[in-house]
Amino acid sequence: MKQVVKYSKLVVICVITFACTDLTEDVVGPQVSDDFYSTESGANAALADIYAEIRADYNGNGIAGGDRGWFDLQESCTDEMIIPTRSDGTWADNGIWISMYTHDWDGNQEFMLNTWNWTFRAINKANFAVETLTNLGADQAFISEAKVLRAFFYYMTMDLWGDVPFFTSTTTAVDDAPQTPRADIFDFVVKEIEENIEFLSQDKGGEYYGRINKWAALTLLLKVYMNGKVYTDNAYWTEAIATADEIINNGGFSLQADLYDNIISVDKDGDQQVTPIFGDVLNSNEVIMAIFVSDLAPLNIIGTRSLFAQHTNAILGYEAWNGACVLDDFVNLYNDSDKRKSQWLLGDFPGDVTYTANIASLTNAGLTEGARSGKFFPLGPIGGNGEHNNDFPIFRYSDVLLMKAEAILRNSGGEADARTLVDEVRNRAGLDDFSGTMTLDEILAERGRELCWEGHRRQDLIRFDEFTGTWQFKPASQTFRTLFPIPTDAINRNKTLIQNDGYN
Amino acid sequence: MDNKYLNRGGVFSGKKRLLRHLNFVFMLGLFMTSLTTYSQTRNVSGKVTDASGEGLPGVNILEKGTLNGVATDIEGNFTISVGDEATLVFTYIGFSNQEIAVGGRTMIDIVMEEDYGQLDEIVVVGYGTQEAKDVTGSVAKITEAELVQGPIGNPLQQIAGKAAGVNINQVGSEPGQAPNIRIRGITSLSGGNDPLIVVDGIQGGLDLLNQVPPSEIASFEILKDASATAVYGSRGAAGVVIITTKNGISGTSSIEYSGTYSVDVIPDNYDILNSQQWRDLLTSRGQLSESIDFGGNTDWVDEITQNGYTQNHTVAISGGSNDFTYRSSITAILQEGIVRNSRSENYIARFRGSQSLFDDRGKFDFNLNVGIKENNFNNEGAIAAAVFQRPTDPIYTDNPISRDVGNYFIDPNVFGYVNPVAVTDEVYDNDKTNSLFASARFEYEVIDGLKPFAFGSWRREARAYEAYVSARTTIDDARNIDNREDPENQSLPVDIDDLPDGEAFKEYNYDDEKIFNIGFNYDRDFGDHSISFLGLHEYQIQSFDGGANAARGFIVDDEANIGVMQSADPNTVLPGDVSSYVNSRKLSSFLGRVNYTFKDKYILTASYRRDGSSVFGENNAWGDFYSGSAAWRIGDEEFIQNIDLISDLKLRIGYGQTGNQQGLDPYQTLRLVQPAGTAFFKGQLISNFSVFQDQNEDLRWEVKKQFNVGLDFGLFNNRLTGTVEYFNGVTSDLLFNYGVPVPPFLTDNIRANVGEVLNEGIEFSFNYVLLDQGDWFVNLGGNLTSIRTSVEDLNGQLGETPLTTDYEVWGTGGTTGVGNTNNAINHLIIGQPLGVFYVFRHAGVDDSGNQIFDDLNGDGVISNGNNENADRYIAGQPLPKVQWAFTPSVSYKKFDLNLVVRGAHGHKVYNARAANLSSLGNVAQSNVLASAESLGLEFIERTSDLFLEDGGFVRMENVTLGYNFGKVSNFIQSLRMSFTANNLFVITGYTGLDPEVEQDGDAGFGIDNGIYPRVRSFAIGLNAKF
Repeated sequence: MKQVVKYSKLVVICVITFACTDLTEDVVGPQVSDDFYSTESGANAALADIYAEIRADYNGNGIAGGDRGWFDLQESCTDEMIIPTRSDGTWADNGIWISMYTHDWDGNQEFMLNTWNWTFRAINKANFAVETLTNLGADQAFISEAKVLRAFFYYMTMDLWGDVPFFTSTTTAVDDAPQTPRADIFDFVVKEIEENIEFLSQDKGGEYYGRINKWAALTLLLKVYMNGKVYTDNAYWTEAIATADEIINNGGFSLQADLYDNIISVDKDGDQQVTPIFGDVLNSNEVIMAIFVSDLAPLNIIGTRSLFAQHTNAILGYEAWNGACVLDDFVNLYNDSDKRKSQWLLGDFPGDVTYTANIASLTNAGLTEGARSGKFFPLGPIGGNGEHNNDFPIFRYSDVLLMKAEAILRNSGGEADARTLVDEVRNRAGLDDFSGTMTLDEILAERGRELCWEGHRRQDLIRFDEFTGTWQFKPASQTFRTLFPIPTDAINRNKTLIQNDGYN
Repeated sequence: MDNKYLNRGGVFSGKKRLLRHLNFVFMLGLFMTSLTTYSQTRNVSGKVTDASGEGLPGVNILEKGTLNGVATDIEGNFTISVGDEATLVFTYIGFSNQEIAVGGRTMIDIVMEEDYGQLDEIVVVGYGTQEAKDVTGSVAKITEAELVQGPIGNPLQQIAGKAAGVNINQVGSEPGQAPNIRIRGITSLSGGNDPLIVVDGIQGGLDLLNQVPPSEIASFEILKDASATAVYGSRGAAGVVIITTKNGISGTSSIEYSGTYSVDVIPDNYDILNSQQWRDLLTSRGQLSESIDFGGNTDWVDEITQNGYTQNHTVAISGGSNDFTYRSSITAILQEGIVRNSRSENYIARFRGSQSLFDDRGKFDFNLNVGIKENNFNNEGAIAAAVFQRPTDPIYTDNPISRDVGNYFIDPNVFGYVNPVAVTDEVYDNDKTNSLFASARFEYEVIDGLKPFAFGSWRREARAYEAYVSARTTIDDARNIDNREDPENQSLPVDIDDLPDGEAFKEYNYDDEKIFNIGFNYDRDFGDHSISFLGLHEYQIQSFDGGANAARGFIVDDEANIGVMQSADPNTVLPGDVSSYVNSRKLSSFLGRVNYTFKDKYILTASYRRDGSSVFGENNAWGDFYSGSAAWRIGDEEFIQNIDLISDLKLRIGYGQTGNQQGLDPYQTLRLVQPAGTAFFKGQLISNFSVFQDQNEDLRWEVKKQFNVGLDFGLFNNRLTGTVEYFNGVTSDLLFNYGVPVPPFLTDNIRANVGEVLNEGIEFSFNYVLLDQGDWFVNLGGNLTSIRTSVEDLNGQLGETPLTTDYEVWGTGGTTGVGNTNNAINHLIIGQPLGVFYVFRHAGVDDSGNQIFDDLNGDGVISNGNNENADRYIAGQPLPKVQWAFTPSVSYKKFDLNLVVRGAHGHKVYNARAANLSSLGNVAQSNVLASAESLGLEFIERTSDLFLEDGGFVRMENVTLGYNFGKVSNFIQSLRMSFTANNLFVITGYTGLDPEVEQDGDAGFGIDNGIYPRVRSFAIGLNAKF
């Protein structure tokens, strides 16, 4: 027994000697966040990551034509985009497109959750960037840029859902992100832009292409003021005019004269060839804020979604998806001499494709029915997922001009001043000055002609009180449809959220 | 269930072989000790045989009342010197003891009589062996003779149906595809449901099985309950499969060959429309036009399939001297799939040796194994395409849509059209895995009973995958690739034939697993008391690294480009073309186990294991896990021994805890940043980085607690033996991605320990020797398992945050037309079985082809939504309630016949493939089932019970008829031939290709999204020993 004890001791000593208890995690691939962001390049990355959110991907994220997300919430429920079920059954998709078009969506609709998760993830990242940059003592311009970006996302969430959770720290406590009235979000967005605008760069293009500079921040502020009546019940027309003036007088912006020239050319076979309105890099004198898109920073699929397979196959070797098009009624809003009219593709195109104006049915449309959009006509070849390289304008100078004109009219200002602003936009499109009295209806129509498919239409129709009205295949809808429902899944996860009226 | 009779006169059964070996070794030891008391008077010699007359090696022969003893040699011969009045005791495991008085004889031949008992065999338990009679936990042993025979690609296929509570789930017959195994159901939601595989002491995951030659396996031991698996700690939480391979026998040398060759055929196809039926349907719908009917008449499935074959060859040499034994083998497992161009080749070379040292007090074991596995997959996509493409599409065309495609037909108006023949013939892919492992173990008996040991193993898998997708495959990503930006040229039409084509991929993965352990065994008997103690420290590092490259756009579009990926068009580079990863996990453990036996009747086992894992971060790295079990050999009590009916009776009871961490990926306790594509910033594209997870610093061990009670019985001289067992397990601190709100969280779920899953069941297994008379031997074996799972809880708190995870979607079917809103099929619902089908109820089809659903809550609308929804109902569960197997065997003279019949009942399968083939609205673009027309559905908008089918089945898994030639000549020691039919028939109401679909418990199990067809195969087999 002594020996047993002796040898047992020996064994125990061996075990203790050779025992390995090292359990530290060797992080080799990914970086530990605290280490990564404590460097200057890490801080840059925190800011850049918010911009990476703005563009799109296929999970319903992003602005630039991403499928089933923000862009579809803003466009596929309006009179300037229709995605009918085709006679071959494509785009039936369990009725989601039809429910968008006829204003029959509910909180289970996937676009809602996609967009909710996307916008709040971006806000989360912006909170993180603000905190990281502040802790690092980064350049105030960077901090301000992150804050205005955050304001931009809050603007989008209040525009879509009204009262939304609000938080500005990197918290994970639900109580720290209470559902906050739309008007308070409005105040926050305004305050945040005003407090930070002085720190933002006034430079355009170059390093600031696709970024929040002073002018992008002012245009955002202008947008917020223009819709202030919708958001808060109070009018902010004088603030809007002043903000627009700041952009117009000091921004050095102008309308790109040839923007709408030569959209269509006819080749030797008699087929029409299309040059996109918005191609690779957008003109920084006209486009106040753009989203940069390339095959390395995807994606824009607006062209792919609209065009017919045989058309793109013939010229680009890719079968496009034949989805979104536009009502005949909308094309007819354009005067024949309007250069912009030719962005709506009708007639003969390569691949023996002939697009026709009339759409016979929302649920059984012919394959080539409906005018297609050439605004973002795929530039160069289309990638394997349908993406093409056309950049996307978030804010444009022509929008600023039209907003100012609208604010003047709404503020009981001079009709002539408003008309002059609208004429500037009309003239560039090859139209004469407007004859007659400028009206809000005319401004809404002009906004449609100028800004179609750029993600403004839902907001405009709501502001002009037309959103719940009727157009082809679309019955009148109830007022509560001017807000989207909070996604059912978000409410399931956070019982403190109160659903918008009409959706319970 | 040891059918030791079946191989009478032929190749030794694995159990016999092992036992003979063990007996032999044991006898050698005994012989040495006997030298001291040696006193010669007379030599007695003879031969010990079994009933068939074959010599039994290693039979212990002891002069009664002395330590004088010998063992028989390989032929069964022995010589012993004893006194005239001596009585010889012949003992051999698996046979009845015999006492023979020498009575002056010098020649004594003995025929040993077999005992039907099975409880005295040796069982390998964790880090040691036990006699079966001393086992307290739930352990199933399957010896070589009991293994399923025939064409075997993976060792798990050998034990299908052979043990209660062990479900071997083979989904389809893709070459090289391993079956899944679940031991006693599913206890984890985070992927820790694969059992630990231990091959001769080397631990690993299921992929370790690829390196084990099926014909080289001597036995499987399956540790099922927590008290048995506890010694393996966290990696054994889901059960342990211990494989012992064959080893050489001292004093012998032999060469063995075993091989099978099988022809594999497709037993069943989908009943889809042929070209005439398709045209008729389209005509009746008014849809037939030249733009969709391209005039062909193609049976796509037939075009891409063939008869497959499976070959399995092993040559083994083995033998040894007194101090050294070895066995070495080379194995080839070759499969040619039933889809053209899909194949698998697996070569395994192994060497196993054992050297005794220092007067047998020391022992050095080593093991080397090299495997080369090569797969060409190529095909799940082709099968789907073949089912879906219109029968009227031609294979070839004179006017291809572009020159690069060759003459394959493509319909450009069908989104993502793939020509099945093109993709089958033109895709090149090759997946090579080189595996090697080596282990060494040394033990030394420092004093009697105390054996310290040290063990180390290193396993490495190096995988290289390469693929080339040419434009000729008709996959649209692979043709006319050009991402170049050319503003000068942007409006010009591009001549698509000039664009570069093809995509090349190369991928590397290295998995390393290093295990080191050091410890000691101490065994001692004190009168009626017997104690055995194990102390162990173990340290493991599992590390994983690898990388992948892709390039696309080549001038000459062929697979040679894999060798020159740098020749790709430089303008076609995409984010993610180059990627790599490195991660690792470390485990450290301390284990103590004690077995105590009193009077051979009362047995106690207790263990304690302290486990540490790196994946829990700093806060909760360590966990303590205990187990205890006891057995009472009631059959050895006198009051039972007087009952003739009962030959054996043993009651076992046990409780144990194990921790699970294997399902948890590393680094989830940390807030991490990873590359996330690109961002455009400061006027240029830069690499973008994102925080990608909500970290949880408080992650801790998932704990599985299981209670087990079992009764082993033997009746009528052990003619009828069996086991009845009940187990009840609760997994608490369940690791799962619980739902959290966005905002304030970054993502809508977080990995945490909150919920609870219950898993209970009963197992019954039996073996009955029905007939043992003359040349006939008939044995009936079987088992039955019934398991119930229940999601007990998924809600709780994570710090301040309430977690709300009821009605969690646990699987969706990619059914055409069903939007994300209504596509959920399986769910996790509190109080319900795991993954229940929670779907809408089909109520018919209206005149315009819309599906009608039951408005279950009567509110006039069918509500949307995947989560809790008053119009959905619980329509069944994906896991079978009952599974059974019946394994009768018959032998007559030199013939033997073995059957394996398996069944599973009480579950449903969602036939998503049928759903996808049932939308008439798609018929212009794709084929449909013949039944679609009468069903009349235009589109399927919700997942409903319409495609939920009873998954119950009875399968004639294996029929093997063998003939043992016995000893043919001096050169051929034994020879056996066999004929096997696998999957001869299936009785099922299920309408898909095969009722066995994924039942692994991961999200989306029990859904048939289309499988690689399960084959029916006919094989011949040959075993010879030289």
